[in-house]
This record gives sequence, structure tokens and C-alpha cells, in this order.
Amino acid sequence: MRVFRPGDRRRRGRSADVLRVGFVLLVLLGFEFYLVPSLVESPHGMPDFLILILLLLAIREKPGLGALTGFAIGLVIDVLTPAHFGAGILASVLVGWGAAYGRGIFFADNLLVNAALFFIGTWVRDVLMLLVSGTPVRSLPIEILLWAPLQALSTAVVGVVIVVVFRDWLAIRIER
Amino acid sequence: MRGADGQEAARSDVLMFVGCVSLAVIALALPRSWALSVASGLRQTALRPIVALEARAERDRRARFALAGVEHTSDSLSILAQQQAALRRENETLRGLAGVRAALTHPGVSAEVLHRPTVTDSRMLLLDVGAADGVQMFDPVVTADGLIGSIVTTSAHNASALTWANPDFAASAITSDGSVSGFIHPSTSGVGLNTILELQGIPLRDSLANGTIVMTAGSGGTYPRGIPIGRIVGIGREVNGYDRIYRVIPFAAPGDASHVIVLTSPRDSLYLKLVRPGPPK
Repeated sequence: MRVFRPGDRRRRGRSADVLRVGFVLLVLLGFEFYLVPSLVESPHGMPDFLILILLLLAIREKPGLGALTGFAIGLVIDVLTPAHFGAGILASVLVGWGAAYGRGIFFADNLLVNAALFFIGTWVRDVLMLLVSGTPVRSLPIEILLWAPLQALSTAVVGVVIVVVFRDWLAIRIER
Repeated sequence: MRGADGQEAARSDVLMFVGCVSLAVIALALPRSWALSVASGLRQTALRPIVALEARAERDRRARFALAGVEHTSDSLSILAQQQAALRRENETLRGLAGVRAALTHPGVSAEVLHRPTVTDSRMLLLDVGAADGVQMFDPVVTADGLIGSIVTTSAHNASALTWANPDFAASAITSDGSVSGFIHPSTSGVGLNTILELQGIPLRDSLANGTIVMTAGSGGTYPRGIPIGRIVGIGREVNGYDRIYRVIPFAAPGDASHVIVLTSPRDSLYLKLVRPGPPK
């Protein structure tokens, strides 16, 4: 008879968590690269599932890994929208690191906190991208105060729905 | 001991963060041609499935929602082509009699725009056609409404187009009656929520009325003459007392364009050799 030690159980629980979170991320990738483009023509104000993926991963990781995840996702953004290569990388690294670092300050298993995190994370990423990519100064107020918050809002709403639907799977385990 | 482990972890976090930021800064500082090459290389390799998936999504969306519009446009064009057949024959006969060369036609490649929900999306568009479809660098990109921009990088199956909303965009421009020419650039300001263009280098003596249509002039070898750019909506400012800058509302919106046409060579340009017409028959 095989005896399971507490360490084994923790490891099995952790790999099950990874699988579940991985499944959710796969769903989000499907939304980002197939479902939304196949339904919506204009991307104005549409939710950004890549930033949701970044934030969902970053609040589960250490700040260094959060920055690394931000780097990978920023690279994807810059490769697919090469308006100013590096702007998306820098913005995503800072947001990923900030979200992971902030995990120690706020309790991320709260719906309102999650909504605020998605909103602020998206808005900050957009603002950083606008600033770094050399947006003309006079266009900045409209972009920062209208389009960026609009996208942040839609991303936050979708993010909250995702968190509610996959609540058990995305809950951060305290024992970790 | 635990404290030392914590310090070690914190140090590795800081190192990773600094490393990522440094790489991002290096990416930002890369010359544009290098950056575009890196992006193009990654699109052809690691991200190729994603680009293919997006292209498929775009085609599915059009098949699902735009079929009625496409059929309507096709029917309208068929009727127009039938009506103009006699006119074209007459034109060709007259050109033959007068020994005038035919105007260059611009073969085009249809392309879907793979939009991304990012704030800089409208400045550079990713298209689902590439070198394999005959698309080359500097090929103009247009919609039925007017000019969008030009191709800046191509790979086998996709291409990036720099649009008029990009701060680096510039084109020679001319009014529709051919009387006044200048250069068109993106404006640093806007009208309402829209980004607009500026027609620069217009002498004070050449007053342009609001509503005047501005087209590409054909200088420079990138854009052929006669692609509609936009409509003048007012005077922006005067420069040095002898130049006037006009504000131009563009006809085509890169952020909303889902389907574009890439005009492939030959390009009609002032710098291209004109074919000398033969002796009149």
C-alpha cells in the first residue's frame, strides 16, 4: 500500500493547479486570437486578453517571474503590432513586475480587488505604451483619458467574468 | 537561514526585473530596420500559428458578416463595368490614333488587416499577404476610400504597413485639380477624437478652399499619382510668414480598415522613366 506524504499531495495539488490555470489561459488565448477577431471588426475599446493573461499569471508568481512573463507577452504584442518595437515589452514588464510585487500588498482573491487590478493594469500598460511609443503630445489626453480607460473598463469587466466563471480554478492557494 | 534564502530570492527577482527592463530598453533603441526584421522573423517562426489563426478569424468574420456587402459591391461593379465597356473601347481607339501611352494600371493584392486591441494599432497594420503574394517593400496600401500607407516589411506570408497615423509617415500631395502641391504629414493635433493630417509647404499665395480634395502627387516613387488622401478642413497655421499649413481630414481610417488593397508595381512616379509614345498612326 502506497502512503502519500504531505509533500506528495502538495506537489500533486500544485500540478493540478497549473493544469487548471493553463486551461483558462488557453481559453483566453482562443478568445484573443480567434473568437474576438472573428466577431468584431474594429478593435477600439475591445478587451485585451493578453494583459488579462499577464495579470492572472503575475499575481501567482514572484516579481522576477512576473517581469519575465511581462517580457514574453510584451514581445508578442510588439511583434504583432510593430508600431514601436520595445514599447509593449517595457510596458508589460513594468506591469507584470508591479502586479507580482503588489501581491504582497493586496489580497488578490477578492472580486473588487481583481477588477481594480485588471482596470489599473490595462490602463497603466496603455499609458506607458503611448508615452514610450512617441504619441504626439496633443493626442495624449484623448488617448489616456478616453480610449485607454475604455479598454481598461472592458478588460476589467471580462476579467471579472473570467474570475467568477473559473473562481475555484483561479483561486490563489494560501498554503503556497 | 530562511532570511538568507529570502534575500537570495529577492536578489534574483531584482536581477530578472533589471534584465527584462534592460532588454526592453535595448529593443526600444534598436534601429527601425533591425526591429522590424526581428518582428518579421518571429512572425514567420514562433508566432506563425498565431498569425495564421488571426488571419483565419478575419476571413471567417468576413464570410459571416460581410458577404451581403461584398455581393452588393460585386453587382454594382459588374453593372459599372458593363456601362463603361464602350467608353473604354472608344478611349483606347483615340489613344491609338493620337499615339498617347495608356495610363499605368496598378495591379493590386487584396489583404485582410489583422488588428490588435492595442492603443498603437492604427499606426502599423499587420496584413495577411506577403512576398509570396507579390507584395514588396514600399508598395502602397489603399482602401476603397483612399490612402492608408505603405508596406515597410514583408515576410513570406505577411507584411507590415506603416499608416498615415504613424508619426514617420510622409507623402507628396497635390490638390485634385493639380494646381497646388505640397507634403502631407500626420498632425500633432487632432479634430475631436480623430487624428488628422497636415498639408505642408503651401505658399501663402495659393489659397485652398475648405473641401478641396488632396491626392498623392506621385513624387518619390512610393505612391502613384491620384490616390485620394483626404479633404481640407481649414488652415492649421502659418510658418515663417510665407508658408501655410492646411488641416486635412483623411478619407480612410487605418484603425477601422479590415480589408485593404496593396498596389503592386509598376508604380507611376515622376522619377520613373516615361515610355516615349510611338509615332502617330
